[in-house]
Amino acid sequence: MTETGELRLGFVPLNDAAPLLAAADKGFFAAEGLNVVLSREVSWATVRDKVAAGALDGAHMLAPMVLAASLGVGSERQAMIAPLALNLNGAAVTVSVDLAAEMRSLGGGGGARPLARALAARRQGGAPAPTFAVVFPYSMHNYLLRYWMAEAGIDPDRDVRLAVAPPSRMAGHLAAGDIEGFCVGEPWNAVAERDGVGQVAVRASEVWRGGPEKVFGVTEAWAERNPEVLAALLRALVKAAAWADAAENRGDLVALLAEHVDAPPATIAGSLHDIDFHRDGAGVPQPVHAAWLLSQMMRWGQVAGDIDIAAVARRVYRPDLYAAAAAAIGDAAPILRTVADSFFDGRGFQMDAAMDYAASLPLSRVARS
Amino acid sequence: MRVLVVDPDPARAALVAEGLAGVEPLEVRHAAVFVEAEAAAFAPDVVVVAADSPDRDTIESLREASLTNPRPVVMFVDRSEPGLAEAAVAAGVAAYVVDGLAPGRVRAVLEVAMSRFQLMNQLRQDLLKAKADLASRKTVERAKALLMKERGLEEDQAYRLLRKLSMDTGRPLGAVAADLVAFAGVLKGDKA
Repeated sequence: MTETGELRLGFVPLNDAAPLLAAADKGFFAAEGLNVVLSREVSWATVRDKVAAGALDGAHMLAPMVLAASLGVGSERQAMIAPLALNLNGAAVTVSVDLAAEMRSLGGGGGARPLARALAARRQGGAPAPTFAVVFPYSMHNYLLRYWMAEAGIDPDRDVRLAVAPPSRMAGHLAAGDIEGFCVGEPWNAVAERDGVGQVAVRASEVWRGGPEKVFGVTEAWAERNPEVLAALLRALVKAAAWADAAENRGDLVALLAEHVDAPPATIAGSLHDIDFHRDGAGVPQPVHAAWLLSQMMRWGQVAGDIDIAAVARRVYRPDLYAAAAAAIGDAAPILRTVADSFFDGRGFQMDAAMDYAASLPLSRVARS
Repeated sequence: MRVLVVDPDPARAALVAEGLAGVEPLEVRHAAVFVEAEAAAFAPDVVVVAADSPDRDTIESLREASLTNPRPVVMFVDRSEPGLAEAAVAAGVAAYVVDGLAPGRVRAVLEVAMSRFQLMNQLRQDLLKAKADLASRKTVERAKALLMKERGLEEDQAYRLLRKLSMDTGRPLGAVAADLVAFAGVLKGDKA
C-alpha cells in the first residue's frame, strides 16, 4: 500500500480474474472506500514474487502457488493466505486436432482411455512422447491433467512430456506443433477451438465438479498488518463475485473481460458456461480444497511425504476471514466441508486421510524420508 | 561466456553484449521467445530475462525439471516495479537487478549471479547426498533387523553378512540392503 492508501492488486488475463476486474470497474472497491489500482501481469512467478516482496498488496493467484510459497517450495518461503476463492471450475484440457482425431478413431472407454490408446499407438509407431503444457508447476492445471491421465494408466512423467507455457500462448504453441495438448483456464481453450487448432478433451468440471481454481492471495504478514483493509477488500470481492455470476450481468461481464483478456467477446461468451464465482459458496476458501492440492503435490513428489497436510491447509486457507466479510454484508455463511467426493472416477477425498490418499493413488511418487 | 537473452526487444541483448565487451570467448544470443530445445542446444552459462516476460514461468519450471543441468537466471526489473528487486529469490533464479542493465554493470551482475548459483547448487547437491546417505543408513538398519529376525543372527553377524553380499556382488551396501528389504516384502506378499 502506498502512503496515499492506494492498493495495488495483480491479475493475469483469464476469465477467473472476473471478481477483481468487476470490483474495480463496477465500483465495489470504491463503495468500500478503497482506492485500488489493478496491475496486469504476464507470469505467475512474477505475481508470486511481487506479492512476496510487497510490490503488490494482493493478487489473483493459482491456489497451489499460495501453498507452495507458504511451504518454501519453488521459491523462498513466504507465508501467504487465501481468504477468498475467486472461482471454481473454468479450466479444460485441450488437445490438437490431430490427436483429437486419433482419440476418436481409437475411442471407447471412460476418462482419458482414448488418449491412452492414442499415445500407445504413437509409441508403437516410434513417435516420441508428445508434449503437453500447463501454466505453472504449482497449478490446479498440472494436478488436474495428471489426475485425469493417471486414472487411465498414462504416466504423466513418462508417457508424455509436461512443459510450462503462458496461458495466452497455448493456442499458438498448439498451432505451431510445439505441443500436442494443454490444460489452462478459459478463455484460452475456447481460443484454440475458435482458431481451429485444438479441441477440448475434458473440462475441469467434468474431472472434479466444483474443484478449486484461483484464489485471492496476500501474504500472512500483510493480512496481519492490514486487517481492516483486507476485510473491506473481501466484502467488495464477494459482492463483485455475485455480480459476475448473475445472468443479467453476463453481457457486461463479457465486455469487461474482453477489454482485459485480449480475446474476442464472442469467444469469451462461449467459455463461461461452467465457471462459478459465488453461487453455492464458490467463493469460500475450503481447506479441503487446499488439502487435496497438497495431496497432489505430495503424490507427485513436489513436497516431502511427511508434511502435515491438514495443518498447512488450515493455516493457508482462511474461511474465517471470508465468513466475517460475508456476515458484514448479509451474505450466506460458509458451510465448510472436510470431504470432496465429486471426482469423475468415484474416488472420495477426506481431509483427515490426505496422506494415505496421496500414497494410494495410481503412480504415486510420495517421497518418503 | 555464453549468454542467452530472452526478450522481445533485441535492444537488451545488444546492451548485454556491450557490457560484456572484452570477455573472451563470448557469445550473446537473443531470443524473442524462449524455446527450450533451442536453449538446450545453445547451452548458455547464464540466462537473462526480463521479470515482466511471459517466458518467466517456463524458464522457472525448467529449474525443477533439469536439476541435472541447471542454469543461473538473471532477471531484471524496471524502476516502475518498487520492491520487486528486493524479493528473496530462490537458488537457481539467482538475482533480480533493478533497472538493471546499464552496460557498465552487466559483467559484474552476471559474474556474481553465476558464482552464487554455483555455490547454491553445490549446497543443494550436498543436501541431496546427505539425504541419500541417511536413507541408505535407514535401509541398512531395516535389512539388518530382517536378518536378525528371520535368520536368528546377532546384529554384528547380520551386518557382516550384508557386507559380504555387497562385496560378492560388487554393489553398494545400501543397494544390497534395499534389495533384501524389497524381496522380503514380496515373500511376505506386500506386493504382487
